[in-house]
Amino acid sequence: MAIHERSLVEQERILRKERLVVDGVDVSGDWNLIILPRVIEDYDLDFAKEVAESPDGKTITQCYQCSYCTASCPVHNYWDDRYNPRHFIYLARLGMVDELQKRADVIWRCVSCHKCTHRCPKGVLVEEVLKVILRAMAKRGLIEEYPSKKFDKFFTESVLEYGRIEDGELLLGWVEKQGYKLFKDPILKKPVPLIGDAPLWLKQLMLKPIKSMNVGFLMLNAKHMLFHPRTKNWNKFKQVLRKAMEEEGALK
Amino acid sequence: MSSVLVVGAGPTGLAAARGLAKLGIKTILLEKDSELGGNPIKNHYHTLIPRKLKPSQVLGPYIREVQESKNVTLYLNTELVSCEGEVGNFKVGLSNGKTETVGAIVVATGFEHFDPKRKGELGYGLYPDVITNLELERMFSQEGKLYRPSNKQLPKRVAFVFCVGSRDRQLGVTNVHCCRYGCALSGLQGSEIREHYPDVDVFCYYMDVRTYGTWEYPFYWAPQEEYGVRYVRGRIAEITYSPADGRLRVKHEDTIVQRPAEVPMDLVVLVLGMEPSEGTKKVAKILGLKQDKDSRFLVPSDESGSNIVSNKEGIFIAGACKGPIDIESCLSEGEAAALEAAAVINTKVGV
Ligand code: SF4
Ligand code: SF4
Ligand code: SF4
Repeated sequence: MAIHERSLVEQERILRKERLVVDGVDVSGDWNLIILPRVIEDYDLDFAKEVAESPDGKTITQCYQCSYCTASCPVHNYWDDRYNPRHFIYLARLGMVDELQKRADVIWRCVSCHKCTHRCPKGVLVEEVLKVILRAMAKRGLIEEYPSKKFDKFFTESVLEYGRIEDGELLLGWVEKQGYKLFKDPILKKPVPLIGDAPLWLKQLMLKPIKSMNVGFLMLNAKHMLFHPRTKNWNKFKQVLRKAMEEEGALK
Repeated sequence: MSSVLVVGAGPTGLAAARGLAKLGIKTILLEKDSELGGNPIKNHYHTLIPRKLKPSQVLGPYIREVQESKNVTLYLNTELVSCEGEVGNFKVGLSNGKTETVGAIVVATGFEHFDPKRKGELGYGLYPDVITNLELERMFSQEGKLYRPSNKQLPKRVAFVFCVGSRDRQLGVTNVHCCRYGCALSGLQGSEIREHYPDVDVFCYYMDVRTYGTWEYPFYWAPQEEYGVRYVRGRIAEITYSPADGRLRVKHEDTIVQRPAEVPMDLVVLVLGMEPSEGTKKVAKILGLKQDKDSRFLVPSDESGSNIVSNKEGIFIAGACKGPIDIESCLSEGEAAALEAAAVINTKVGV
């Protein structure tokens, strides 16, 4: 059976079967196609409670949906309107897990600028609450390990290794981790992002300081990339820190 | 000395009669029912907003003073049937056969709770577990426990359906107003449920949450933040029953998610609107008082800045006969009406 205006029906709600028996009646043939309803049939209150009862998630109950947060959020304003902290709060609070899952591709995009938290008239710790929602989703396998978490790990490793971060290395290392092939100079094996397969945006980004002839900045970065500076006595401290963080479960 | 007639012995009428009696003015207090106190007493309200006191705490002292005052003549089970004359000399006929002469009249005939049977789609009267917020008050105040009428068990989930009989043109132009108390009372009832039964989940289905003024914190923020009452945006359009699990379904569109929803509930509480009482409509006719053309509530005179002064000289209107109002404001309006009436009959007020 054909569906008119197919574009109006989401793919996941269309059920097509070669043979179909409903209540003991064989309806194969004409009636082999079912469109599942859009109706919300229940709330997943266990999910909602898990979020609201975790120490960082408590303030979720305070939200009154004014959307001060979303109006302030750079990710919503400049990137994708499907990223909407107010809406995530509403969905999580009623346990509308399938709706959250529909946004699994954007929900981790928070850049932790904390504008939402600083402005919320109800004192919701929005940024923290969103992280709790993410964790609860990840725990249930509703969302893959999200790229921002992967980045956090990469960042942490860099800090653990050197006691500090080095912008160029962090950026280029992360770009490589995303699967881009960067050209490396043959001697020091350091990436040279201006040539080769580096993505266009990266080339443009690297060209900016060159164009503006910010010589000091260029020299400093080049020096840091070549001779990676470390915090003094870092090696000793690093072992203690790593052990402590492992015990806390902070490196998971 | 001329006396004053007060029609209605709810909070407003009691406050007016008590005020007049204190000023030493002879007062006739009419009440069509057999007891004093109006809706809060008759319908066994449990806790009053905004001070969370019991009706006996708020109205008890008024009732006692009125009953004990030698200046008040009380006629229970009595209605106003006729009125002639003018300010300073009204001849009023009462349903008990008496005729009295009074200098001024205070109308405090109040409101009536909306009859939810008029919204058939909400299943009231059809499904025992669909109850009114009045019945919930009675459950608390008379029986001291929460239960589903169908099986006497504790519900797992309770839904409050806001604006039943309010803000509704479908009922005719008479019910376009907001009940003013419903959101706040639901916040309070929801909090009471959560306080005593922390395992019961409570949902409020709203279009707007109208907890104005200082009511915002205690009746909206606290229910959410301190008691975990959940607010869902969408007006319940239909209530159905599922024989398979014996639970109700509240049908609505979640307007934030923009999806239709049919969520299971064990007990559904309809938040009833307010309408002018039969008494208010009757008295308006007898006294020739101006009414709002849609709602039929009484409206004050445009000639006066005071909202107590009616279009008839010497007749004052106070409380819920003019529209939804909270009990404490009723008391204040009753007192204001007493003052106006006292001034009209030109009584010297001794200190
Ligand atoms: S600003 Fe605060 S109260 Fe408003 S929608 Fe965002 S989290 Fe909720
Ligand atoms: S912290 Fe995240 S959610 Fe909040 S405003 Fe910034 S990007 Fe948006
Ligand atoms: S007070 Fe609340 S429940 Fe009552 S009519 Fe107004 S919005 Fe609806």
